[in-house]
Amino acid sequence: MAQTGHLTAAPAAPNIWAAMPLKRRVMWLRIALLVGIVAVWEAVAASGLLFRDVVPSLLTVGRSLFDIVTKPDYKVTLGGSEIWIPEFYRHLWVTTGEVATAMTIGGLAGLVIGLLLGTNPFLSGAFERFLYYLGPTPKIIFFPIMIMWFGVGPGSKVAMGTISCFFPVVLSAAAGVRQVESVLIRVGRSFRLNSWQMVTKIYLPAMRPSIINGVRLGLGVAVIGTLLAETKLSNQGVGFLIINSYSTFDMPRMYALLMLLFMVAIGANALVGRASRG
Amino acid sequence: MASRAFFMRQVVPILFGIACLLAVVVAIELLIRLGAINRFIVPYPSEIAGSFKRIIVEEDVPARFLLTTGEALAASLMLTVVGISLGALLHRMHLLRLATETWIAAVASAPLVLMYPLFLVIFGRSALTIIMMGFVSALPPVILKTLEGLSTTRVVLINVGRSFKLTPSQLYWKILFPSALPTIFVGVRLGMIFALINIVGVEFLINFGGLGQLVNELAERYDLPGTYAAICFVILVSVVFFIVTERIERWLRPGT
Amino acid sequence: MAAAPNASARPGDGGSASAEPLLVVDDIYKQFETPEGPVIAVDHISLKVMPGEFLSVIGPSGCGKSTLFNIMGGLLDDYQGRVSVAGETVKGPHASIGMIFQEESTFPWRTVIDNVAFPLEIAGMPKAERHDRALHFIDLVGLNGFERRYPAELSGGMRQRVSMARTLASEPKILLMDEPFAALDEQTRLLLGDKVVQIQQQLQQTTLLITHNLTEAVQLSDRILVMTYRPGKTKRIVEIKLPRPRSSEIVGSDAFGHYVAQIWNDLREEASRGLKDDESRRAERRR
Repeated sequence: MAQTGHLTAAPAAPNIWAAMPLKRRVMWLRIALLVGIVAVWEAVAASGLLFRDVVPSLLTVGRSLFDIVTKPDYKVTLGGSEIWIPEFYRHLWVTTGEVATAMTIGGLAGLVIGLLLGTNPFLSGAFERFLYYLGPTPKIIFFPIMIMWFGVGPGSKVAMGTISCFFPVVLSAAAGVRQVESVLIRVGRSFRLNSWQMVTKIYLPAMRPSIINGVRLGLGVAVIGTLLAETKLSNQGVGFLIINSYSTFDMPRMYALLMLLFMVAIGANALVGRASRG
Repeated sequence: MASRAFFMRQVVPILFGIACLLAVVVAIELLIRLGAINRFIVPYPSEIAGSFKRIIVEEDVPARFLLTTGEALAASLMLTVVGISLGALLHRMHLLRLATETWIAAVASAPLVLMYPLFLVIFGRSALTIIMMGFVSALPPVILKTLEGLSTTRVVLINVGRSFKLTPSQLYWKILFPSALPTIFVGVRLGMIFALINIVGVEFLINFGGLGQLVNELAERYDLPGTYAAICFVILVSVVFFIVTERIERWLRPGT
Repeated sequence: MAAAPNASARPGDGGSASAEPLLVVDDIYKQFETPEGPVIAVDHISLKVMPGEFLSVIGPSGCGKSTLFNIMGGLLDDYQGRVSVAGETVKGPHASIGMIFQEESTFPWRTVIDNVAFPLEIAGMPKAERHDRALHFIDLVGLNGFERRYPAELSGGMRQRVSMARTLASEPKILLMDEPFAALDEQTRLLLGDKVVQIQQQLQQTTLLITHNLTEAVQLSDRILVMTYRPGKTKRIVEIKLPRPRSSEIVGSDAFGHYVAQIWNDLREEASRGLKDDESRRAERRR
């Protein structure tokens, strides 16, 4: 009886593509796509169909990017000695500080209020609606008010980041509390845990995925809130650099800065995402 | 008794919430009058309420509202058509999906709206810049959600279709697509909200167009109550937009 | 070729006088490649179902019942052997075979009536006509009054009846069911069993039921085919000579208990073999 007749018949491979393992094919397709995009880009840049400055050759963008991250044009004093570093790092440092402060304030406030709302149906019935509706409003329009309250310096940028990241964190924390399986809460009660222990030993560990998700969303909008504020009114930070390259019409520099910014943002997001798996 | 319990559980918290909101407004009014809050930083709430009518008439709010809504609708339309098509294309072409899905997810997590100076160069200071910015920044979630909806169709539903001998196109339009539709609309709605946020934001930033510009202009004129009132108006518009799209989403999941 | 034990036995009762079987499953063999090596899911199974007969295939979980179901329904190809309906070989889903699946399979975006009318819509029947037909089958499964509801508004048992009505509406010659009540509680299962018996009698519907539930098999069937655990072979075919029409009340009778005990004897051996196999595989995976 030819039991395995179907299974052992080796597929005849007429071409290399069909015989290639899937991973290899994906890799080649990616390379082809990248090459295609670069080729089209360069063709447009060379043709001059659009203004040459709008679509600069990737070579000039690359040169600009290299300058931004390596050309030492800013003096810092470190422990008495003077060192020259690229100025980009100073601006990146400012922006990172603003976003980190915003994440700390907005994230902690969101977490605490989210826990309160999630565990208390009355408070949630009274206030969660407001947060739910305010969440998807454009936060940048609060910027004029934030300038009046916190000045034109980093304060108003931190405030913008804080407002932005508060909403996703508070809403996912509140939802996360309610998703904690009730049997886990009953287990905690049966061991007679006090409120603090309930939060730290039961709620927070059980809510880990939704908290990380909230932080991830919050980080994304905090970066947007802070940087948009920097482009509107500021004299430092990555947002300022971007809008500055616009005012000086330095397109290669703008592309280079946007690429750097996107790489940092995507990397940070991936890092937070990895925390949810680890 | 049941209705009383419902009243206690549902209505009382809502009333309490609204009461708290009003109390905060009254407290701010009092604190300003007492001088605890600088009235040149926070205007009287009563003054803000009073300037609603003024800005609506003097600042041509209806026309601005229509402009912003029009921009949002144009961006949403492009989002729906392009996003769903691209999602469906990636679902059909498995290899292309394997090659690009992580890229799209990565782009979705980048602050795309920061490209607005670039769009300003390409499209000029016009409604087109605003629409394109809204469209581009909201595209990735629509693509990803369409892809997710189509590829999470339950196998048994496809098997039902096969057992009734459906043709591939019937299988697509009678089973895959309707099954994916709620998830696809989650993506479209997310995209529409993103688009509206970014459209108002860019209007504000480049000082051009509808409601976003109104906030910017009043702030630059240092019309404090007007600025606050305009912000309240923008919030109102986005809340209405949010609720309407939420209704549509619920309507697409019948019976739940 | 191994002769399957009395596979061609006539049904105990209810079968028509003509000896031509409606569904013939001839020497089916199917193996799957897994990371742990090939697994034989169905090992040379043959069976014949007579017109109007109710045949059940019972076996422990993991014995390849569902593979057999998918092969008979034409959802799986790439197997050895032959399935034929009224002499015609089945290749791909066949119009004469209606399938009812184990999982919830109603379309959540369609009302009950539109779910049931689905096969008629595909066949191109005009709307008014197909709604009339659908109402008939909704009535048959006892869901009148729920025509305009959506599946999300119904209970699990009701949804499974919607699936049943939908399949019946395509008027298949053979009804093929894969553990249709597996997700339901015992009481609902028994009551739905009554409904199935009643419908089957009314339509003289030839039915093949795949199940792992003993009570259900004995309650409903004319004959029961007991499958072995991996590789899935025919262990025995048992004729159930309980009087018809039946209802769930017979579950308490002595004759019923006798059949259950007899089949459980066969099944217990296979089920415990499956359990051990599963445990050792889990232990290995942890290593």
